[in-house]
This record gives sequence, C-alpha cells and structure tokens, in this order.
Amino acid sequence: MFSRELTVSDLERLDRIATAAVEALQMDEDTFRAFYDRTARQVWAYLARITGDRSLADDLLQESYYRFLRAERAFASESHRRNYLFRIATNLAHDRHRRGRGVINVPVPDENAPGALADGRDLAAETAQRTDLARAMATLKPREREMLWLAYAQGSSHEEIAESLGLRKSSIKILLFRARRRLAAALGGQS
Amino acid sequence: MNPRGAPAPLDIECPRESDVLDALASSRWPHRVDAELSNHVASCAICRDVITVAAAIQADHDDAWREANVPSSGQMWWRAEMRARQDAIRHAARPVNVAQGVAAVFALALAGVAAWFAWPSLHSLFSAIAPGGDAQTTTFASPLFIPIAIAMGAFLVLAPVAIYFVMSEK
Repeated sequence: MFSRELTVSDLERLDRIATAAVEALQMDEDTFRAFYDRTARQVWAYLARITGDRSLADDLLQESYYRFLRAERAFASESHRRNYLFRIATNLAHDRHRRGRGVINVPVPDENAPGALADGRDLAAETAQRTDLARAMATLKPREREMLWLAYAQGSSHEEIAESLGLRKSSIKILLFRARRRLAAALGGQS
Repeated sequence: MNPRGAPAPLDIECPRESDVLDALASSRWPHRVDAELSNHVASCAICRDVITVAAAIQADHDDAWREANVPSSGQMWWRAEMRARQDAIRHAARPVNVAQGVAAVFALALAGVAAWFAWPSLHSLFSAIAPGGDAQTTTFASPLFIPIAIAMGAFLVLAPVAIYFVMSEK
C-alpha cells in the first residue's frame, strides 16, 4: 500500500487525537491509582483461580483495567464500579476459555511465591489442600467457579454476583446452591 | 424447615448460613463457636457444604493474595495511557487507509481500461519496432492513437498527484 511522510500538521492532528483519547478515559490518574490499589490483587486472585493460569491472569488483569478505563459509563457507587470491573474480567476469561486456552490447569503451589508459607505452616498439608481444591474446581463449569469464588473468597452478595457475572439476581440462589453442592462433593464433603 | 432448625431436604438455603460464614471469617470455627451452632451444622447438610466449600476457598484466597504480584498502579496507568494513544491514532488513520485502497483500485482499473483501448495502437507500434517488423505497414495514423497516447501520458503524470491529494489531509 502507498505510504507518505507525515507532515507537521499530521503530527499535530494525531497528537490532538491521542490527547483527547487519554482525556476520555474513565478516571483521572489519581482516582485510577487509588481504585487499582484497592482492587488489583482481588482481580488477579479471581482471574488466577478461575482460569488456573497465573500468566494468563497477568495478561487479563491488564486488559481488564484497560477496558474498564475505556468504558464510557458512569457508576453510582464504588461497589458498582468494582462489579463492572469483575464483569469485564469475567468476560475476558470466558473469551479465552472459548478460544481454547481456558482449560483450567491444576496449579502447582509456588514455594518461591512471595509470602508462601512464610509463617511456617505445614507445606505438605497446604500443598495437598490447594491441589485438592484446584482439582475439584477444575471439575466445575466456569460459571460455577466464578460464582463460588465471588461468594466465598470476595464475600459478594447475590446482587453483586449477579452484577459481576451478568446474571439475574433471582437465579443466583439456586445456581450457587448447585455449584456449592458439586464442589463440596468433589472435595469429599457431604452433599 | 424441620423442627430441629435444619432445612427440609428440598431447601436450597439455610437461615444460619450467615452465622456459619461469620464464624469462619472470624476464625471462630470450629473450636470457638457455641455448641448450638456446632450442633446445627452437624445436622444441616447445607451448612456443612458451606463450611467445606467456604473454608477451602478462603484458604486458597489467602494464598492467592500472597502470590499476587501485580504491576504498580503507576505502571498500569502509563501502559493504559500509551495504549489509548496508539488505539486513537490507529482509529484515526483507518479512513485514510480505506481511501488509499480505493484510490489504488481505481488507478489500477483506469490503467486496465486505458490499456484495453490502446492495445491496437500499441500492437502496431510494437510490430513496427520489432526486428523484422514491417514498418511500412505499421499505421501510426490510427485516429485513436494520438488521443490515447496523450491520455496515457496524462494518466501517468496525474495519477500519483491524485493519489497524493486523496491521502492528504482535507
């Protein structure tokens, strides 16, 4: 295809466009940084556990925040904002799952991870417990994993789960019950 | 709900779930809860599932929290800003790329049409200059030869100029 040299007016025009794009981001820098510091580890943990892949969680974390910043939406509260972020993260994880990279792995606990077992807990017991949970989670549907994580790791209410997953609030109770029963059975608990 | 406080077999939630989760979250479960709650959990399938699942997930959440090695907020903001700029510029350049494509297709089509019209004259010209060609029988006197030659010359000069203007701002 043809190409041409950029003129000074081209560069000025592109700079104006780029500046406008940055100004159109959802938040200013300070607000974003505060929000990110409050939520990033939660989102990473969620992504790492629903996908079973830490490096994928790293990628999806960045993509989630970028899409969140580009979203042209107003939020009534911090909770809505957070739920919307989780919804973006969930949708991205689903996209990856559909494209075949989302086959959940059973993550091997990383002994060198910062803080891992620093308090002297029993490594073998911890590893076995985590592996059991990862294996049990891998038997669930993605939607079930997400729901259980939001409910019991994040402590989200049914309304927040519905908002984060794009489901009707009225269906959360039964779906959560089924997912919990399946996971408990997979973990060897009573169901 | 049956008389002992446990839900009937078809119930999907138990009113004591929140008590169980509170006990778990505050590390009171299983040793520092009152006997009444312990007895309830022992008789309630839903609460037993809640304990099994929530205890495992909360422990895993604590591990994941320690594992999480996320970029700093400053890095994340900088990357988002750079990407927003690049996306905006790419988006702005899209109509220019479309115009370039249209111009190229148009120029090629025009060249094809011109070549088709000029072919008889060009054929005569090639015959005349080819070794062994019969220059005497070659006719440059075709009534279309001169206008076509002028049109092709003009096209070769003007097409790049036209393409430049199509690609230019405005």
